[in-house]
Amino acid sequence: MGSYIIRRTIQAIPILFGVAIVSFAIVQLSPGSPIDRFRGANVKPETLANLARLYGLDQPIPQQFVSWITTFLQVWRREAWGFSLSDGRPVRDVIFSRMPATLLLGGVALALTIVVAVPIGILAAVKQYSWADKIITTFATVGYSIPSFLLGIYLLYLGGVVLHAFPLFGMRSLVGGGSPLDIAHHMVLPVLSLAIQQIAGWSRYVRAKMLEVLNQDYVRTAKAKGLSSNRVTYKHALRNALIPVITLFGLTLPGLLSGAVITETIFSWPGLGQLGVIAVAQRDYPLVLAFVMLGGFGVVAGNLLADVLYGVADPRIKY
Amino acid sequence: MVSQADSTALEIERRRREEAEAESEEIDRTPVRSYWQLVRRRFLGHRLAVFGAIALVVLALYGIVVPIVTGDAWTLTHLFLPDAPPQLFDKDGNFTFAILGYNETGQDLFARLGKATQTSLEIGLAAVLIIVTIGIFIGSIAGYVGGWLDNVMMRFVDVMLSLPALFVILMITAFFGGGNVWVVILAIGITGWTTAARLVRAEFLSLREVDYVQAARALGASPRRIIIRHMLPPALAPIVVAATLGIADSVVVESALSFLGFGLGSQEASLGTMLENAQNYFFSGPLKVVYPGVVLILIVLSASFLGDGLRDALDPRQRIETK
Repeated sequence: MGSYIIRRTIQAIPILFGVAIVSFAIVQLSPGSPIDRFRGANVKPETLANLARLYGLDQPIPQQFVSWITTFLQVWRREAWGFSLSDGRPVRDVIFSRMPATLLLGGVALALTIVVAVPIGILAAVKQYSWADKIITTFATVGYSIPSFLLGIYLLYLGGVVLHAFPLFGMRSLVGGGSPLDIAHHMVLPVLSLAIQQIAGWSRYVRAKMLEVLNQDYVRTAKAKGLSSNRVTYKHALRNALIPVITLFGLTLPGLLSGAVITETIFSWPGLGQLGVIAVAQRDYPLVLAFVMLGGFGVVAGNLLADVLYGVADPRIKY
Repeated sequence: MVSQADSTALEIERRRREEAEAESEEIDRTPVRSYWQLVRRRFLGHRLAVFGAIALVVLALYGIVVPIVTGDAWTLTHLFLPDAPPQLFDKDGNFTFAILGYNETGQDLFARLGKATQTSLEIGLAAVLIIVTIGIFIGSIAGYVGGWLDNVMMRFVDVMLSLPALFVILMITAFFGGGNVWVVILAIGITGWTTAARLVRAEFLSLREVDYVQAARALGASPRRIIIRHMLPPALAPIVVAATLGIADSVVVESALSFLGFGLGSQEASLGTMLENAQNYFFSGPLKVVYPGVVLILIVLSASFLGDGLRDALDPRQRIETK
């Protein structure tokens, strides 16, 4: 197991390197230069040339890439990820300051998803073709087809404007906010808009896998030797039916790390997703690059975690 | 002389042969159907898929016919009709199509929604065309050539899959775009081809070793001919399914982009631009947000039903007919 993790981590390095190259290339190819904002009638060309030399923009592009990536990897230094072009703060600090809000939102949504999706997926499979199954499958199909940003808008309208039950934006009340209860109150709608689509997707996978498992020989054998159907379903079948949940968990993890871009923007949630959108809009290149790298790291880490968890859940898998 | 026992044995044998003949006749009576007849039967037996196909045709017609009939009504502003309720006749008594009312600048919502449906479907189709083209190109080369080239290409696919796709699309449209339709289409296209490439590659890897492909190679057919004439047609089914689902995905991404303010300019009409600034309309006219949303959900639902139905119908291994 240990050697497997090490091997996979080493395999991940070229992928992350590729992510770095692609994101660096997009920024390089984009029109304009970081020193454009200093241009003006009263600015001498020598001053601009000095600025370009200061920022290393006069170096050849491969050299710029190398100096960027080697600095970027020194995560323990505050200035490693550069400074935000909008307010001059170290990018690393900006990102870390936004992370708790994102982790809170994503974590609660993920927990809600697991708690709801797994039981209803199992219920739909065990009672296949019953009315409960039909309701769950219909919900899953429709829920999965509503784009998450549309769901966010409609939830905001329903919960915030029509029912007047929930705040329209932010994480804390402007006056006297910040208590856990206040934050929870602000969190209801964004969590729902993230979780509903996930629940819909996950429950479909759990149902399909559970149906597949329930038709397998070993389940029939377990029934034939006289075990109660509850024991067969929840002890024998469930364990194998949960394997897609591991995959989905791995796929959800990067979103947890880099934030739900659209949902956070709709609800003005002060997390990484919203920060990413602002950074792109302001062409805050250091921040954008750090954001893409974080997203790529999340995907690679999620895949690795899922693969390791497979081995824990399924003893047939050997590394 | 034939003994009693022998005649009984002969009798049994005769009967058995008759039964076997009757049985084989019975088999012969079931009509032989071609692949496409089976596909049609299986597809028509899939009620949701038929619904999806019909709904998509209706939506496409809405997007084609309404802009033709209403002309430039989608962009004309009426100074005295901001957020006006539906009205079928203007002040001169001429018939208008404004059965959904007007938006905050006095534009006819019915005409605007038609134009938006047209724009969004066009973007979806164009993006899918790019996705399928790149996917087939990369996937077929990787699957056909194999070896180190396959390895390099698949690692590149891994890199593409590791990028936060929506965020990269945001970057491309924000840095290069300025509200240009083609930048939006290209951004969706060049980030979305990985699934198609993987599908094509998987099909090609298994087809490469099949006898008839080996035979074609032995006859001296060029790789180009083998790929295009012999390997692509049987690999087409999963591509068609992926493309169907890809249209819905691309339409959603475009809407999300425009909603965030990175897609088309707000003077253009797409489902996303109609949803843009949705929060501002919560108090003035929420229906403005509902109409484009409903069209968007319908497109996604119908495309996913259609895709599921096509997947089942096009699968040649699925010979059992659904009633």
